[in-house]
Amino acid sequence: MTTLAVLEQRDGTLRKISHEVVTAAQRLGGAVEAVVCATGPVQGADQLGKFGADKVVTLTNPAFARYAPEACAQALAERAKQGGYRTIVFGATATGKDLAPRVAAQLGVGVAEDLTDLAADGGGLVVTRPVYAGKALLKVKVAAQPAVVSLRPNVFTPVERPKAGTAETVAVNVAAGRVTVREIKAAPAGTLDVAEAQIIISGGRGLKEPANFKVLEELARAFGGQAAVGASRAVVDAGWRAHADQVGQTGKTVSPSLYIAVGISGAIQHLAGMRTSKVIVAINKDKDAPIFKVADYGVVGDLFEIVPKLTEEIRKLHG
Amino acid sequence: MKIAVCIKRVPDSETRVKIAADGKSLDAAGVKFVLNPYDEFAVEEALRRKETAGAGEVAVICLGPAAAQETIRTALAMGADRGVLLQADKIPADPFETAKVIAAELNSTSWDLILFGRMAIDDYNTQVGTLVAELLGLPCVTAVSHLDLEGTKGVAEREIEGGIEVVDFPLPAVLTTDKGLNEPRYPALKGIMAAKKKPLEVKPVQPGVGALEVAALTPPPERKEGKIVGEGAGAVGELVRLLREEAKVL
Amino acid sequence: MDKIVPAQYQPALPLEKLILQDGSDGAGDRMELDVLIVGAGPAGLACAIELAKLAKADGTELNIAVLEKAEALGEHSLSGAVVNPRAFRELLPDLKDSDFPFRGPVTKEAVYLLTPGSKLRLPTPPTMHNRGHYVASLCEIVRWLGAKAEELGVNLFTGFPAAQLLVRDSAVAGVRTAAAGLDRDGTPTAGGGGQAPNDLVAKVTALAEGTRGLLAQAWCQWQRVPSANPQIFALGVKELWETTQPLDRVIHTLGWPLPSDAFGGSFVYPLEPNLVALGLVVGLDYRDAALDVHVLLQQFKQHPLVRALLAGGEMIEWGAKTIPEGGFYSLPERRSGDRVVLLGDAAGFVDVPSLKGIHYAMQSGIYAARAIFHNLKDGSALTEYDRLVNASYVAADLYRTRNMRLAFRDGFYLGGIQAALMTLTGGRFPGRKYRMHADAEVERRVSTPSGVVKSGISKVDAVFKSGNATRDTIPSHLIAAQDVPSDVARFYSHVCPAGVYEATDSGLRINAPNCVDCKATDVLGPRWTPREGGSGPKYKRM
Repeated sequence: MTTLAVLEQRDGTLRKISHEVVTAAQRLGGAVEAVVCATGPVQGADQLGKFGADKVVTLTNPAFARYAPEACAQALAERAKQGGYRTIVFGATATGKDLAPRVAAQLGVGVAEDLTDLAADGGGLVVTRPVYAGKALLKVKVAAQPAVVSLRPNVFTPVERPKAGTAETVAVNVAAGRVTVREIKAAPAGTLDVAEAQIIISGGRGLKEPANFKVLEELARAFGGQAAVGASRAVVDAGWRAHADQVGQTGKTVSPSLYIAVGISGAIQHLAGMRTSKVIVAINKDKDAPIFKVADYGVVGDLFEIVPKLTEEIRKLHG
Repeated sequence: MKIAVCIKRVPDSETRVKIAADGKSLDAAGVKFVLNPYDEFAVEEALRRKETAGAGEVAVICLGPAAAQETIRTALAMGADRGVLLQADKIPADPFETAKVIAAELNSTSWDLILFGRMAIDDYNTQVGTLVAELLGLPCVTAVSHLDLEGTKGVAEREIEGGIEVVDFPLPAVLTTDKGLNEPRYPALKGIMAAKKKPLEVKPVQPGVGALEVAALTPPPERKEGKIVGEGAGAVGELVRLLREEAKVL
Repeated sequence: MDKIVPAQYQPALPLEKLILQDGSDGAGDRMELDVLIVGAGPAGLACAIELAKLAKADGTELNIAVLEKAEALGEHSLSGAVVNPRAFRELLPDLKDSDFPFRGPVTKEAVYLLTPGSKLRLPTPPTMHNRGHYVASLCEIVRWLGAKAEELGVNLFTGFPAAQLLVRDSAVAGVRTAAAGLDRDGTPTAGGGGQAPNDLVAKVTALAEGTRGLLAQAWCQWQRVPSANPQIFALGVKELWETTQPLDRVIHTLGWPLPSDAFGGSFVYPLEPNLVALGLVVGLDYRDAALDVHVLLQQFKQHPLVRALLAGGEMIEWGAKTIPEGGFYSLPERRSGDRVVLLGDAAGFVDVPSLKGIHYAMQSGIYAARAIFHNLKDGSALTEYDRLVNASYVAADLYRTRNMRLAFRDGFYLGGIQAALMTLTGGRFPGRKYRMHADAEVERRVSTPSGVVKSGISKVDAVFKSGNATRDTIPSHLIAAQDVPSDVARFYSHVCPAGVYEATDSGLRINAPNCVDCKATDVLGPRWTPREGGSGPKYKRM
């Protein structure tokens, strides 16, 4: 039984989600065929054998210079119909969420979206997906043929399982489609939104005064532009930070891979806004602060000593 | 402009999730149901487009139980012209079945624009709009956070990782609306009053079972007991090591 | 500072803002109605239902609207509650008790006097017998009554707080609602969310705003309607728990953890065997400035009686509300005026000795509806409403217990003895009116809290559990005096169960979005005014 793993590229380079998709596909047993829509060779595609792809197929067409929703969907649906795959795996990225249901509909099925777990189950699949803002997990049996699924990013850690993968390039004949991407604008620089950031460093009243947030901003910079600075409601109410930075209650609900809470005691409303973060670090001088109950790693002590030291260490890592 | 807005009745985002006795669904006792927040952007956008055009109709379509009439009334109070409840006790676990029912309803009229919210905050599905577009053979743009329309041509912006895609598309089309597209209006007193008299058609439907079946709804696993790495700046080295080697986030 | 008299720091009711000439600029929509009811609680909704029924029976069209500040019905309603079904039966005579939105009849009850580690079972005082009464959630009652009212064609407008009384000469013409969608500085929020206030005008306006009603207060002051005693209040803080242990009885306690110079007690009611409402109610005439009702409730939960019940359970909701406790002598001399009536808690129809107010509220709504209907029909005076209430069991019940709560101004023990004598004599002892001071006039001694209670839940967490998700950027709706001394700031921080007030080095800090509209500091300190509709708590089963 072959699984089709749908990769993602931008500007001819494979995106990280592709490794996750192949890793998850490989878990289902059977052969893994990885497929990507592009104008030509995709940088990084030749590495996929390392993650367990038996075959990497590049579907080429001039329309694939940018994401072409209808053309990609048509190419993939046709490939899927020919291939007789049991399962088709997408990444639940902005692109994957847009593309998967197009392909699924053309195959006459729906998508099991945004999975955090999947396993083969007899002839079908059993999958898990977070619902109600992560407050519950829904386990679903998928009997669809083929089963079309998409994976929540950053959940399926890529595992190397080298295979002697083969490669194939197929020029496909598809229409450019009615919906076309004219351009990709860069996100406004320097305004990484806390809701989007993979790393969030949040400050609370422990910072003592607004000017001290520069300590956190320096740490954020040390992460090389991947990190945003958030704030607890208390400091937003006090006017120290903008409301857009607030995590929890009427602020934002976030689930970055790394959440560093600095000088935040951890009121329930704040915890509710960040408890689905993958890894939580708390830095607080009060060892009884509730934040330590949800933190994976805690450091007790003076944040004005700890954070600069952490900044220094992170800078070393990012060279 | 003739615009259809497909909406959903969902538990309020603050809902405390308690699993029902069947182990597969939400215990609805004490749960407040609201118009899906992303659908509010769709309703608002439809109203603005109709207002700009100076003429047209905004119809609200909802698949849901009888109580979803209230949800439709909310959209009517905002200013939509009429509502259709596709009444079914349960929303199918398979979004494709939901899409088929909605597409069948939409198919009977020709629309300039069909709007959905980007996602439902209960089941976290983002696909029904796209599935409906495919079933109707219409172009579709998802997660629209900015929209320009001129004649039968549209330009939409959608956020992707690290950037914004600018997308051209022709009308009629299906769009799913994201945060940032607009600021939904507060229903006005007169709107609430008028909503009572607006037509709301109830059509019983029987969605198919589909190929997805809920096996269980469970609480998320408790977070693993965390550890205090140490005290003061001296613990930073160990913290960084754990983040790299154990948690693998650096 | 070793004494505080709260009234010295309390801003006056801003009457000049609250009373507005009808036709003044600044409103968006204007809506004309026959009857406008302010507040969708048991009083307002009973009034609306009775009116709609009378109109229907008579074949007249009446345009009736109910304004409610909560985002959805019942979300600002909180009570114990054990309900006397009497007014339900009168309002909806075709229904049986089992049709009403009650959770179950009271089958067993117990009253205890608590000491820190033990309890003494007391005989249930006659006023507190609850046979034939039902345990209920006021939120559920309100939602149920609201649905009944809507079926009868009443317009319910939730999310619209009444902010100003519109008047013409001495008559009430209607209300102006609060603006919405404004930023902290009062300008419309980005994206055009701002919404101007609306004017709702009617032939008769019924003020059923609930406890410490802003417009009811304003009207009484504006029209100089006195009461024999000032109204006095208690603050109740309540939690809803899912328990692992079942509870089969209604429990009330007196004594610990309250100091003996405070009046109050606790209640523990089963909504379901494993769904328990519990709370603590303390009169706001307490003497210790460091007393904190929320903290006392957390202490109360540590008592063996409660701790065993709650062990392994989970708190699912939290809320707070004041209760008008003055009784008979605190009722405004008249509850009707030129085109206006006052209902329910806004008028003060609560009987403390029996811990009941819901059926009085509903009954007052029913009587008001009858008087309003006749007024609209043939021009007969609204004083008919006062006549109906005065001739009814509402006035009779409150008169019988007229001095019982008041006796406790002298402390728990002296008060208890006097109250017992009053019960024995059917209210005739002591044959005179007890004079009361307004709560804000009662002197407080400044003390430091006796140790920080670490157990239980913090106020911030409590506010989260009230469902409060008020937009953080709304303009502050609380009016505090400038530069209050730090002891007074600390006093406010203890009065407020929701952590709105904090005493900081730089003075009083006000976290306005935390407010759950309980009105406690409106009684003792900073004034409360309405804010954007839908703000505040979102109670579900309180």
